[in-house]
Amino acid sequence: MYLKASDLLVGLMMIGFGILGLFLASRAIDSEMYLFGLSLAGFAVLFVAGQARRVYGGARSVAHD
Amino acid sequence: MTDMALGAAAPAPAAVPVAAVGYNEAVVRKSVIAAMFWGIVAFSVGLYIALELTFPALNFGLEFLNFGRLRPVHTSAAIFAFGGSALIGSCFHVVQRTCRTRLFGGDALADFVFWGYQFFIVMAALSYVMGFSKSREYAEPEWHIDLWLTIVWVCFAVVFVGTLLKRREPHIYVANWFFLAFILTIAVLHIGNNLGVPVSFFGAKSYSLFSGVQDALIQWWYGHNAVGFFLTAGFLGMMYYFIPKAANRPVYSYRLSVVHFWSLIFLYVWAGPHHLHWTALPDWAQTLGMAFSIMLWMPSWGGMINGLMTLSGAWDKLRTDPGLRFSVTAVGFYGMSTFEGPVMSVREVNALSHYTDWTIGHVHSGALGWVAFITFGMIYYLVPVLWHREKLYSTRLASWHFWIATFGIVLYVSSMWVAGIMQGLMWRAYDDHGFLQYSFIETVAAMHPLYLIRALGGAAFLTGALIMVYNLWMTVHDRSTEPQTAAKPSMAGV
Repeated sequence: MYLKASDLLVGLMMIGFGILGLFLASRAIDSEMYLFGLSLAGFAVLFVAGQARRVYGGARSVAHD
Repeated sequence: MTDMALGAAAPAPAAVPVAAVGYNEAVVRKSVIAAMFWGIVAFSVGLYIALELTFPALNFGLEFLNFGRLRPVHTSAAIFAFGGSALIGSCFHVVQRTCRTRLFGGDALADFVFWGYQFFIVMAALSYVMGFSKSREYAEPEWHIDLWLTIVWVCFAVVFVGTLLKRREPHIYVANWFFLAFILTIAVLHIGNNLGVPVSFFGAKSYSLFSGVQDALIQWWYGHNAVGFFLTAGFLGMMYYFIPKAANRPVYSYRLSVVHFWSLIFLYVWAGPHHLHWTALPDWAQTLGMAFSIMLWMPSWGGMINGLMTLSGAWDKLRTDPGLRFSVTAVGFYGMSTFEGPVMSVREVNALSHYTDWTIGHVHSGALGWVAFITFGMIYYLVPVLWHREKLYSTRLASWHFWIATFGIVLYVSSMWVAGIMQGLMWRAYDDHGFLQYSFIETVAAMHPLYLIRALGGAAFLTGALIMVYNLWMTVHDRSTEPQTAAKPSMAGV
């Protein structure tokens, strides 16, 4: 099992932030909040993708050893 | 137990094999790279706005190139991006090595702290150039970015404190005490100073919870302690680990380092009101701030002496180790700027120095001489360690960096001292009829040659940093720096 509890918790937290970012952007009343919301969503997607790559990429390399 | 024995006890060779611990070095490597990147950004923007002050046409009439918007980009990039990334990296490196355990919370939480902090920096910088700011010095980001930083900072504290709690060493090395004070106090300051009411949950604008002179006092309680706990305590933690490591000597007096710690953190939090001399703040509060600032001489100089004397018996290394030269010069600048600060906090001196470029010179002797130099020393030490290299690509280039950067600081600081004192004296000069002798624009014109010298100093400092980046890039990628022995280099005790 390569997925640790901390990976799962941080991943879930980031998914929450991503959704929050989209919510903020969808109702933003100024350009700053619009940019922040979209960036937060983009950051969350990239972070979770990086996490998945680290966790499952690491699992693959160990499996090949 | 003697001081020397106590000092030797902390960074001694590992009892637990490193391979058994498996430190998280990836996040430290990322932090070092980020510190170098943001350092170049901060110095470049600083040079640009210095040139804007010298040649205002460089605004090009574009609002996002305006000095008022780029100035917080420069200060935030220098303090929070460059300094903050270096501090996160050194906290994570030092706490793992001195506790002989991997970071608490797993790689995911450490990664979140690193990347979440980088996200904060980028968002803050973008908001400044777009014209969104709370107009609070060193706390310009609006409420939503502040909230994000709070989340990241709490996670940082969880990783650091959690690692301390699961340590395999009975003793908590003094560097960790400074890091702990830095992390916890900055959390309190950040939350306290940024308490505000947003206009809307979906809008960036907010208003402070405080008003009038109370607001000013809260701001400078935060502002001065950002200097005290971010730029001083954090980097002192760096000093107490990396100077003994680079010099291969124990801390001169471990007992003095503990006295240094407790006296510094007790005194610093009271000094903020000296930023509000001759204002609506009650006199007693101004005097309190001034008195505590003067008292800060003692811990500051105690710490400086402790750092310098750690080199007893190893002074010859300054000739051969440019990284150590940076660190030791940084301690000298620390002593100098912490002498100058209390002098400027005296109400009568402040009457001359406040609102002038003397303050800018003072800040940069600390920021460039202390913060940047101690960071450069740390980076020159850490890069070969983290990338498993035997040596730096070029000690000659590191030496060039040192001298060019020192020359830059001297130009910068001396020009600002002259400019500031001249400004202060011109503003307070009266003619025989009791009228002001100089108009404001005459003082601005008088500054012009000094602003040019300041920009030259900044250009020299940036040049030195670019040399460092090239040198470290080559250290990582050039084959000449690879370990010559077939066996993997032992990292024990690093």
